[in-house]
Amino acid sequence: MAEIERVGEIIEASTTGFTAQCYELYQMPPLGSLVKTGDSAAELYGIVYNATTTSLEPGRRPIARGKDEDSEEAIYRSSPQLAKLLRSEFGALVVGYKEGDRLYQHLPPQPARIHGFVYQCSPDELKDFGKSFDFLNIILNAHLPVPGEELVAASLRRMSQAHEDRRAFLVAAGKELAILLSGNLNQLNAILGRIKL
Amino acid sequence: MSLDLTKVAAQVGSMVARLKAGGEDRQERLQNALNVLQDKSLDLERLSKKIEASKTTWLVAGLVDGLAPHYKAPPLPPEFSVLATDGSNIDVDRHKSTRCYLINIGSVVLSYGAHPEALLDSFPSLYFGDEDLVIAPDGAKGREQPIEGALLGIKRGVDECRELARLAAELPKESPALALLDGSLILWGLSGKVYPDFVTEALLNKGFLRCLEEMRKLNADRHLALASYISFPRSTDVVNALRVALCPHEIIDTDRLCKECESRDCDKVDGVRDRDVFSSILAPGERSALFTSQSSIVEKHYGGHWVYFFYIRVDDEIARVEIPQWAARDENLLNLTHALVLDQCRRGQGYPVALSEAHEQAVVTGVDRESFWQMVESLMVDEKMPSPTSAKSFSKRTRWV
Repeated sequence: MAEIERVGEIIEASTTGFTAQCYELYQMPPLGSLVKTGDSAAELYGIVYNATTTSLEPGRRPIARGKDEDSEEAIYRSSPQLAKLLRSEFGALVVGYKEGDRLYQHLPPQPARIHGFVYQCSPDELKDFGKSFDFLNIILNAHLPVPGEELVAASLRRMSQAHEDRRAFLVAAGKELAILLSGNLNQLNAILGRIKL
Repeated sequence: MSLDLTKVAAQVGSMVARLKAGGEDRQERLQNALNVLQDKSLDLERLSKKIEASKTTWLVAGLVDGLAPHYKAPPLPPEFSVLATDGSNIDVDRHKSTRCYLINIGSVVLSYGAHPEALLDSFPSLYFGDEDLVIAPDGAKGREQPIEGALLGIKRGVDECRELARLAAELPKESPALALLDGSLILWGLSGKVYPDFVTEALLNKGFLRCLEEMRKLNADRHLALASYISFPRSTDVVNALRVALCPHEIIDTDRLCKECESRDCDKVDGVRDRDVFSSILAPGERSALFTSQSSIVEKHYGGHWVYFFYIRVDDEIARVEIPQWAARDENLLNLTHALVLDQCRRGQGYPVALSEAHEQAVVTGVDRESFWQMVESLMVDEKMPSPTSAKSFSKRTRWV
């Protein structure tokens, strides 16, 4: 049985991505993590591309409170309501889905559902997902607030941690990227530089 | 066409000019008030008796520990909680087909110390049954008072207090706590002869005061203080006590004697507010002496919950804190109130953080109101019920030329 960690709940969803709110402040999955949502009939996979922590209500901006405090923790201790008035969210780019036992690395027929639970993928799932590199094309073609090469590199670094032979995995990914980015050497070099062990 | 501000601008100019011109005069009257307050030769016992015997149309503060003393804030306990409630409502709309109102109570419990914790919640309640829409006298028909407008506001205040008492009862007994309400402990809306006695009985005696009594009883095995907080108060109770001191006559009866009075010595402090006086004598964090409210509704109904009050200086503002008699006469509770109110204001940029968060939980915005009525109408349409609205309401929503 794979280890399952629930990291948030979907509050915005579209065909290409979803935004999830974390249950605990600052407990968002790291950049490039593979997360999943959905039920046994269809599971959607997403790569975390962005995370934010903001006020729960758009009209109330946080103010600086620490002038007379010794540490950051002291600020949260002296204003315990803060943890309830702030929220952490993360955005995930949909990079594939699973129907039954088949895994596809292209956009799913239906977007995720609001209030769907989002789970961190287990090392086994990471390995399984990393058998194909078709998802890299989705990332490179997406319009995101973070540069595509950063996200590709972050996701490959995280995925490689599930493999016993990290180097072999990254070399295979690099070969795939060399084909995808044959017309854009600068971007290719930027990614390769970021996944070097 | 909305408000034509260019036409208002000149009038605002005149208003500001008038205020500026009166500045020196106001300063002089404030100084007069301070002179009386700090007059060491003043016989306080005699003044206290004179206040008790006087019949005035204005409220005069009763004296407890004099006029001029002021006290530094006591130290904070290592562990403590502050709880607060606030409310908001959607009033009955006579232009709608459905007669109902909604009260939303926001509540906050903040615990400080080794294990800081915050609970923020809101409890909306919709009232629509015949028995909820009016206050009726026992057994008698035909004199029901509809709960809407000002009366709904008073009922909301009672509901806020009820929720506060419920929260207080759930607190752990070990650490001291302060329960905070916004505004006054005196239900001013019920004073005078606006509503029949059974309304006062239902909302005050069987409502508000019963909740205060529940909180008083909780003190059997813990320290629970109760206070209401009034920011930027306009009250003149203490200045009116100075008026009594200035009056050369032994007996004061505003309805009979003041009309014939020629000296009018009391006018020397006219227009001065309590907050102006205490702004001059209180250092940051200090509280004033204790005073009692002499309002008729308190005298008649409050009994052991008789309303005492003091002023407190928070940064640049003077606030009025009202507490029931049992909290005023217990030195521990009085000190706890002083220390925790001040601490709350310091944590909350000048206003108690628990109260401002309770307000945030309770607030019902204009958009919320619209959405609420839309929901009512759409559910009625789903059930194929007619939901006629008034032509006036329709004309306000749909504007044309």
